[in-house]
Amino acid sequence: MGAEDVRRQSLNVYRIKLLGAHVHPVDSGSATLKDALNEALRDWVTNVDDTYYIIGSVTGPHPYPMIVRDFNSVVGKEVIEQSKDLFGKMPDAVVACVGGGSNAMGIFHPFIDIQETRLIGVEAGGEGVSTGEHAAPLNDGTPGVLHGARSYLMQDESGQVKDTKSVSAGLDYPGVGPEHSWLKDIGRAEYVAVSDDDALKAFHEVTELEGIMPALETAHAFAYLEPLMKELDSSANVVVNVSGRGDKDINTVAEIDGIEF
Amino acid sequence: MNRLTSKLQNLKENNKKALVAYLVAGDPDLDTTLDLMHLFVDSGVDVIEIGVPFTDPIAEGPTIQKAHDRALKNNISLKMILELVDKFRETNTETPIVLMGYLNTFISHIDLVQSIGENSADSILVVDVPGELNLQTYGITNPNINTISLISPTTKDDRVESIAKNSTGFIYYVTLRGVTGSSNLNIEEIKTNIQKIQQYSDAPTMAGFGIKSVEDASTLAACSDGIVIGSSIVEMIADESKTKEFGRIGEYLREMKTAIS
Repeated sequence: MGAEDVRRQSLNVYRIKLLGAHVHPVDSGSATLKDALNEALRDWVTNVDDTYYIIGSVTGPHPYPMIVRDFNSVVGKEVIEQSKDLFGKMPDAVVACVGGGSNAMGIFHPFIDIQETRLIGVEAGGEGVSTGEHAAPLNDGTPGVLHGARSYLMQDESGQVKDTKSVSAGLDYPGVGPEHSWLKDIGRAEYVAVSDDDALKAFHEVTELEGIMPALETAHAFAYLEPLMKELDSSANVVVNVSGRGDKDINTVAEIDGIEF
Repeated sequence: MNRLTSKLQNLKENNKKALVAYLVAGDPDLDTTLDLMHLFVDSGVDVIEIGVPFTDPIAEGPTIQKAHDRALKNNISLKMILELVDKFRETNTETPIVLMGYLNTFISHIDLVQSIGENSADSILVVDVPGELNLQTYGITNPNINTISLISPTTKDDRVESIAKNSTGFIYYVTLRGVTGSSNLNIEEIKTNIQKIQQYSDAPTMAGFGIKSVEDASTLAACSDGIVIGSSIVEMIADESKTKEFGRIGEYLREMKTAIS
């Protein structure tokens, strides 16, 4: 795990350690997810005879994006079944956050042929897409190759990968799963971005109003409801994929709110 | 004929092994890189491999990673590296030059790579494409540039054949499981695998990754067509980057040359 993420995801790190695993902090590069991936690949080629490499997102070389998508797509299939019971029809929109894009791909994939449902992926807008300080390659990237996949990538004109900025560790990645790039290019899914500030606001609102503390990743998806619901009819059914719980992010949020434990 | 192909043929006909030496362009600065290239040649180096710096060099160990980082701080681009090669060619039209780098850099500069003339770089080694692919797959069809594919200790037999056929420059045999600069050479395995490669292809096979001592060099040269030295040189460049007294590098290369002769 990137050393910066070990710090801001300390609760998750402690949990992983309780389960008996070792966590190696990675100091190279920006010390976040991309650098952890570089180091995992380096470890793998060194210990390839007794190590299996697996990536937690829908990126990397084939067949990893397919493996992760297929396992995650149980969520989308479940949403289709439950929508029949709850709404008597398919939802008008499905909203999910996109870093590498595994939770989004899991819920989007079974819906690809269900044209009546809008698929909306929400990327990390960081300080704002126009500032360049973000992690939104589908909004502000160009095609490139990183970690064995060709996809939209945050890069400069020389093909060097740019540093990313997001309050959310899980979205802080300069690339994105290649199938998302495809869904963008064929126009089947829409990809928008939400700033750190709006995501934090949504984190507080959802926690207070629903009693559900969403992960900061998920908070990006919730934050997009505000502009989205303004353009939809009040009877519209919208499904938000709650990709993770927010207790792991409590240190980050408390620090921003100026609270010390 | 391509400068690299003809040089390696010539060495083979005279029963000599090739000494390939690596450095990262722009580490510590481009003027020093040019001086070092001439020092390499004066010290017996047959082929110069220029590392093209990339933000995420996944095949590199810590020594070369840091060299990439230092070069990137100087904003070294592929265009600047080709200008460096032009300068080198003003006084040296003999020594073949291989550019070693990562796919994203080359596909970000397709026009530039297409325009490489006869009196420039001679070959491109892309570290992060499957061995069956090469730059042609990505629309780069420059006849002045030949390709080098990598084969590792874990490459399956059926792939060895197709990868070997895909190499027009030389075949780069990765001598260990790991990244550049590691130290776990298994000489018996290396011998067996290089013999296997040579059954499938007439292209010269160079052994690289983890070769540090004159003993390694002499043993591996005996079972291959030449050796590649990288991390040891890059480390010495880093040590002397302030004083720029690189006499030790010349001495080291001459010792290596003697060891493989």
